[in-house]
Amino acid sequence: MVSLNAVLLISFLLFSIGIAGVLIRRNALIILMCVELMLNAANLNFIAFARHNGSVAGQAFALLVMGFAAAEVAVGLALVVALYRRRDTVQVDDINLLKG
Amino acid sequence: MTGFAQGLLDALLKDTHLITPQLFLMVTATLMLWPGDLFFHRNEKHKWAPITLVILAVTAALIGRTPDGEGFSRMFRMDGLTRGFQMLCVLGTAATVALSVKLLNGLKQQTVEYYALILFSLSGMLFLCGASDLISMYFSLELMAICIYILVAYLRERSTSVEAGVKYFLLGAFSSGILVYGISLLYGAAGGTTTNLADLNRALALTPTTSNLLVFSGVLMVLMGMAFKVAAVPFHMWSPDAYEGAPTPITMFMATAPKAAALAAFLRVFGAGLHGVSSEWVLPLCYIAGASMILGNVTAVKQESMKRLLAYSSIAHVGYMLLGVLSGDPRAGAQAVWLYMLIYIVMNTGAFAVVIYLQGKGEGERIEDFKGLGRKHPVLAFAMMIFLLSLAGIPPLAGFFGKFYLFKLAIEQGFVTLTTIALLTSAVGAYYYLGVVAQMYFREPDGEPAAPMGATSVFVVTVACALVLVATACGPWLVDWAAKITWV
Repeated sequence: MVSLNAVLLISFLLFSIGIAGVLIRRNALIILMCVELMLNAANLNFIAFARHNGSVAGQAFALLVMGFAAAEVAVGLALVVALYRRRDTVQVDDINLLKG
Repeated sequence: MTGFAQGLLDALLKDTHLITPQLFLMVTATLMLWPGDLFFHRNEKHKWAPITLVILAVTAALIGRTPDGEGFSRMFRMDGLTRGFQMLCVLGTAATVALSVKLLNGLKQQTVEYYALILFSLSGMLFLCGASDLISMYFSLELMAICIYILVAYLRERSTSVEAGVKYFLLGAFSSGILVYGISLLYGAAGGTTTNLADLNRALALTPTTSNLLVFSGVLMVLMGMAFKVAAVPFHMWSPDAYEGAPTPITMFMATAPKAAALAAFLRVFGAGLHGVSSEWVLPLCYIAGASMILGNVTAVKQESMKRLLAYSSIAHVGYMLLGVLSGDPRAGAQAVWLYMLIYIVMNTGAFAVVIYLQGKGEGERIEDFKGLGRKHPVLAFAMMIFLLSLAGIPPLAGFFGKFYLFKLAIEQGFVTLTTIALLTSAVGAYYYLGVVAQMYFREPDGEPAAPMGATSVFVVTVACALVLVATACGPWLVDWAAKITWV
């Protein structure tokens, strides 16, 4: 059986990649994917902890988070499409009408 | 298998009496979308607004009738705090709906989805007020937020609205990723069996020092994720843009109802929930509150857009309200925050009603647009002055009493430096609120005649102004009253 620490390390790496992606990449779609990575890192944590401690609650939470992620992506993609129709771009650096 | 299904059904139905308002909202909002919308012609969608107001009134009555208790595997808790903040959410939502009608009519953008999304978002808030488990807190927070992402980008023909929606969405999704990762760490640190706040608090207080890093980073991430939702510095970047780009009633919505719900969650998670590990979060939260007061007030000074000004001022007000979360006494803290939030919602509603009136067709929301309002519209300008002075916390207006109880509580709990910062920044706040008042009274108006105001807007402004004045008159008794309402 894989040790808990190994799974936690992997999930931490996933989470870091997600955060770095959100902060570095400028494409709205890729930022969305990086957010999904962060959510999946949390899912991995939930499942690892649940399995390690013999509880099922964490596995249920992971399922719920997946459901939430689907809803979030649906809304997010719709917003990005609306943005693309208006502005012909999905680069976050180009959306700068509002500032101050 | 049937036994399992039966058990599941029993477990779900056993506690439904605790969430009747939410169920009612979800069912009616769904029925509004289908088949309700089929009964209205394209030109009569504005009729959904009064229907929504009726639904909100019924919801408020249902909240009043819901008994106290805890249910759904102790994920939802109905008590005085829940009920008090739920009422605030309904109040803020009702004001939003009332003020939406005229603006959306002018823009020819009336749809049923607008009102249904507001109701879905409200049901999320009602869950959030009573969430006594990190997981239920997370999902109700997201139910509330996802609907608001769409509402911010509602005017999809307008670039600023879509831009505001995308910015809010990306940062909101980012923060929810951080929040859920923090929850997963706390879940693990507490032994991987529960995310219930009371159990979590007990388990975390007993954790060996080796897993302290886990607890610390978990608590910090939950704090960051929630600070994003209330737009506290340094997690406020989305809020001025989202406030400016959103349709103005939605701006008002974001400034009132979701803030009340998110602060209720703050009070539950930090004030009452995780006090066993308060050494981990008190200092970061102090910095967040202080930075919100300073940056919110100082940045508001140089704003030219009224909506941005109100956005920064709401950041500052959140800073003040976090003082109530910090106070070690959850009950007194909740009462002070509730009272402040009530007064804040009323005066904010009034101020936004005036902004919406001046906007007419949705343009021209600069502070300069207020010049000469005292000459053109004496009554309106007087009401606006009351709201602004009250927002500034100038005695003896209602806003002053809200601040007074919060600051008194913070001093009693020993947060002297933070309260000093709060007092000094309030003075800065008075400067920019008075700037708008000066525009109204000491500048000559432009030649254009005053447009008539919608009946609902007149009603909202009058009620809000009357409430602020009544609250001013009975200020000293307000906190006792808040104690009665919030903790029956």
